[in-house]
Amino acid sequence: MYLPPYIIYAFLISLGSGVLGAMLGMGGGTIMVPLLIFLLKVPIHIASGASIIAVVATSSAAAVSYVKEEMTNMRLGMFLELATTIGAVSGAFLISVMSEAALRTIFGLSLLYAAGTMFLQSRKMERSWAQKPNDAIAERLQLGGNYFDSARNETITYGVSNTPVTFIISYVAGIVSGLLGIGGGGIKVPAMNAVAGIPMKVAVATSNFMIGVTAAASALVYIRNGYCDAFLTAPVVLGTLLGAFIGARLIKQVRGVDLKKIFVAVLLVLGLRMILSGVGI
Amino acid sequence: MSSLKRMETLVSNILMAGVLMSGALILFGLMLTAVTGDTSCPNGNMDLDWLIMGDPFFAPSHILFLGFLTLIATPVLRIAASIYVYMKLRDNVFMTITTVVLLVLVVSFTLGIG
Repeated sequence: MYLPPYIIYAFLISLGSGVLGAMLGMGGGTIMVPLLIFLLKVPIHIASGASIIAVVATSSAAAVSYVKEEMTNMRLGMFLELATTIGAVSGAFLISVMSEAALRTIFGLSLLYAAGTMFLQSRKMERSWAQKPNDAIAERLQLGGNYFDSARNETITYGVSNTPVTFIISYVAGIVSGLLGIGGGGIKVPAMNAVAGIPMKVAVATSNFMIGVTAAASALVYIRNGYCDAFLTAPVVLGTLLGAFIGARLIKQVRGVDLKKIFVAVLLVLGLRMILSGVGI
Repeated sequence: MSSLKRMETLVSNILMAGVLMSGALILFGLMLTAVTGDTSCPNGNMDLDWLIMGDPFFAPSHILFLGFLTLIATPVLRIAASIYVYMKLRDNVFMTITTVVLLVLVVSFTLGIG
């Protein structure tokens, strides 16, 4: 019995990223990809290929409970999937014409963006949310919905406004997801919450629901282009799944805000390192 | 049972089954790797024949790829199931939307850049 050591290391790296990702409400890919690049010297195309398949796994696993809890707005999700999947395929095709250096720089910038939004989140616990009515498109497609908020013990009905803008932002989120091999929830969730006026919990569940199909579209292009190393992807998928499972249980025992502060620092360091290595310093 | 409830149950069952099946295949593939020590894998563009049939079928890398494809097929199957549900509900707009999403997925796989 023998497994090459890098399989074990890749498993441990993704296990850690999966735990952290689940505790912070973001995909594991964001920190896993830079760690695979820096610690295991994996080319970014291959690291992103492993990550995108792990993203399919974690979002499908998480969707099981979100859908059962009826948090997911499936009509809105299926409508916006139109934008995210086309974006994801565009992004995944784009990756084959981009250099390692360019991709590292873009990835680094996305890490700094994630650090920025997380920093803002940690300052105000509850994002302000104003209930908005359906706009014309949302009314035609019946995109609004309702859910039972257990914290407030009431059923909350909401509309979907600014549908065209939300659709365009979803397309961009799809491109970023395909290009970098991450879920892209960091772009979609704030857009659905702030632009479309959807409650935060529904935005998180619906974004996760879409990520499965979005990541599947990019993953197919990655596989066809040969950016999927079976012996790296396998431990990454299992590690991330197990990590996400552990993280979801740990989250109830740790104070969220303290963890976010540490994580903002980690994202900043990884982001800067990615950018510096991308521009050749 | 309401149509929404039926859709929710169907979706979560598909997702659960897909994740468990692919997890089992990937675990099996890694066990085969450990036993045989075979970490060979075709380089470059994946061809469809190899992805399905393998060479040989029980090569560790092929079993792992079957696991990944099962995982990817899970959300694709979910889309296919929802097309069927919208068809039964005679919701033409959403039937069209989900059909286009399915087409994008199929095209993304068959095209693959050279």
